[in-house]
Amino acid sequence: MNRDVFLKRVRTAAAAGRSYRVTTNDRVERAAGYVGGGPDPIARFAEQATAAGGQVDVVDDPAAGVARLLQICAQHSARECIAWDHPLVDRWSVRAALAERGISVASAGVLPGEDAATRRRRLLSADVGVTSVGFAAAETGSLAMIDDGGCDTVASLLPPVHVALVSHEQVVADLFDLFDALESRKSADWPSSVVFITGPSKTGDVELKLTTGVHGPKHWHVIVSRS
Amino acid sequence: MADLDTVARESTSHDGGAVDFRAREHHEFLVASRQALESANLQLALARLGDTLGQRNRDAYAAYAGSAAMRELARGIKDRTLAELDQHLEALEASVRRNGGEVHYAADAADARAIVLELLKRRGCRSVVKSKSMTTEEIHLNPALQAAGIETVESDFGEYIIQLAGQRPSHLVAPAVHLTVGEVAEVLSRHAPEPLPADATALAQFARGQLRAKFAAADAGITGANFAVAETGTVVVVENEGNARFTTTLPRVHIAIAGIEKVIPRLADLPVFLKILARAATGQTMSIYTSLLSGPRRAGQANGPEEFHLVLLDNGRTRILEGPLRESLFCIRCGACLNACPVYRAVGGHAYGGVYAGPIGAVLTPLYDGLTQNEHLPHASSLCGACQAACPVKIAIPELLIKLRDRLHEAQHGSGMLESLAYRTWGVLLRSALGYRVATWLASRALGRSQASSRWLRWLPGALGGWTSSRDFPAPARERFRDWWRREGDRAPATPPRGLDSGGRA
Ligand code: SF4
Repeated sequence: MNRDVFLKRVRTAAAAGRSYRVTTNDRVERAAGYVGGGPDPIARFAEQATAAGGQVDVVDDPAAGVARLLQICAQHSARECIAWDHPLVDRWSVRAALAERGISVASAGVLPGEDAATRRRRLLSADVGVTSVGFAAAETGSLAMIDDGGCDTVASLLPPVHVALVSHEQVVADLFDLFDALESRKSADWPSSVVFITGPSKTGDVELKLTTGVHGPKHWHVIVSRS
Repeated sequence: MADLDTVARESTSHDGGAVDFRAREHHEFLVASRQALESANLQLALARLGDTLGQRNRDAYAAYAGSAAMRELARGIKDRTLAELDQHLEALEASVRRNGGEVHYAADAADARAIVLELLKRRGCRSVVKSKSMTTEEIHLNPALQAAGIETVESDFGEYIIQLAGQRPSHLVAPAVHLTVGEVAEVLSRHAPEPLPADATALAQFARGQLRAKFAAADAGITGANFAVAETGTVVVVENEGNARFTTTLPRVHIAIAGIEKVIPRLADLPVFLKILARAATGQTMSIYTSLLSGPRRAGQANGPEEFHLVLLDNGRTRILEGPLRESLFCIRCGACLNACPVYRAVGGHAYGGVYAGPIGAVLTPLYDGLTQNEHLPHASSLCGACQAACPVKIAIPELLIKLRDRLHEAQHGSGMLESLAYRTWGVLLRSALGYRVATWLASRALGRSQASSRWLRWLPGALGGWTSSRDFPAPARERFRDWWRREGDRAPATPPRGLDSGGRA
């Protein structure tokens, strides 16, 4: 339909509808819905993410975090991982540690000379997806994945196991804080995809019985380092 | 549930006579609801629904101290946005364009289907994966796609089951809730090399395998939108399974179809809704996946669609927007009112006949598909208010239903001569002290005394008989309060003798 006709109809209807506006309490503040992270946001994050079905490890430093990652990979007999190209993944020397155990690590991005079909097969055969996060929200136990170059959303979606590595400074208290943090990205380089993840893939579609791993990862691990 | 009793009994009498149900499209509420009441499987499923999702919703609101404030805030945002809807749509369009996407405007369902088909044709798309979307149900997209030779697969597990079973979803968030695990196994087994066990996990695994292949091959992904953020041109899709992520990540074209009421002005408005949506829908604090999708993939990105299209749908919404039922456009399709509703929990989603079921369906279906064609729906409610109490945006559904009943009455009977005469007489009597006294004296002597033993009238004459065909009418008291007071008032405080009040039996 013609855009202008469409919008004109909306304009007329919206104007007429104003006489049917409802009364709402306009003094309600956003602050009334603020939950925050409590005295220890990392502990609150762990509690909430666990309640959502995640397996959370809070560790003292990156070295302990990487050790835990290796354990998880061993648990799932992982042979192939896909990982983000992300400063935290580099800083924690994740690739070297995995390689040492004989686990191959590939980028989730497009490798040189790789066509789309080959890449898709490669991603689909990976055992574990290793990512960091944009932010983690303590209130809800959610991870915010921002798909910039290198931080491919597929790494947290295709493999049956997703391990997210989080450093303490990435943890924000409340969902409102998370959106405040996103605000700064709004103008110039607003990303095409931001995904909040709060738990392993789930369905209750048959008799409301909870089943995990229906499309996305069945196992959702988060490793948070306090330093 | 007096209303439900009425429909159940009426349907019995309909059954005997020859009623041509094909003559009217949405005929079936009376018969369908009776069948629903007789289906043991369905009754079990519906009881489960109220006990789990409904209870979890109440628990989640109770556990979140800010829930009342956020619901009020969300309601205010909806109200303000609708008041300037045209401006927000224009802002949304500008943002989507800035992100490299395209916006299309669809006046009605046919328009929307044509736009989608044209887009798919232009891009040479032969196969489509869909994630759960009530809006695409509303415009009957799947049959149109299939008729055009485009393979269309629903990827939400529940929707996938429904599609293979050739049915319609019966619940906003749990589309296959009316089926037992055995029934699901039977449906899916028809598409499996060997019979599948009646086990929810095994069935989900089977679907996962089937659907992964579809995702890998699909040319286009079609989704709805829970919200559309004007400021950033972002379509927000909320889900638990991950199928919407697949749908919006792997295929090269993403088409999102959203009703115009889905727009919210600012990014900062979104967390207000996210804080209440999942709590209302399933009792979760957050749904597992919330995708904020803003246009096609950018340079340097390896994933995401190459093209992004947003189809904005009117399909009767402006007609609702300009009138007294405007508030129904606040709905964020969480399903909480369904789980809370005693009528829905008795008859299930299919009985409502339309795309939207439950209390909000009883409002929306008559508005979208015609009031007189869905005459039973505004009455399919006990007006108990459980829906409004559950609703994350506090829609006054009972009030909207009453407005629809008024409208329906007007449409079916006009303002009848006899009725208006009756009301005028009533008005005159009530306005004059003498008239009122004479009327109440007559009522108490004539009716009150003769019915003093039961205090209920089992039969009323003429048009009033509609009331007593399915329930009794309270008889007037045998003594008026004023008479009692004149006699006993001096001895107050006293409790009035039994039988003076006429109400009481629920
Ligand atoms: S009317 Fe309210 S409770 Fe019902 S589906 Fe819509 S938002 Fe949810």
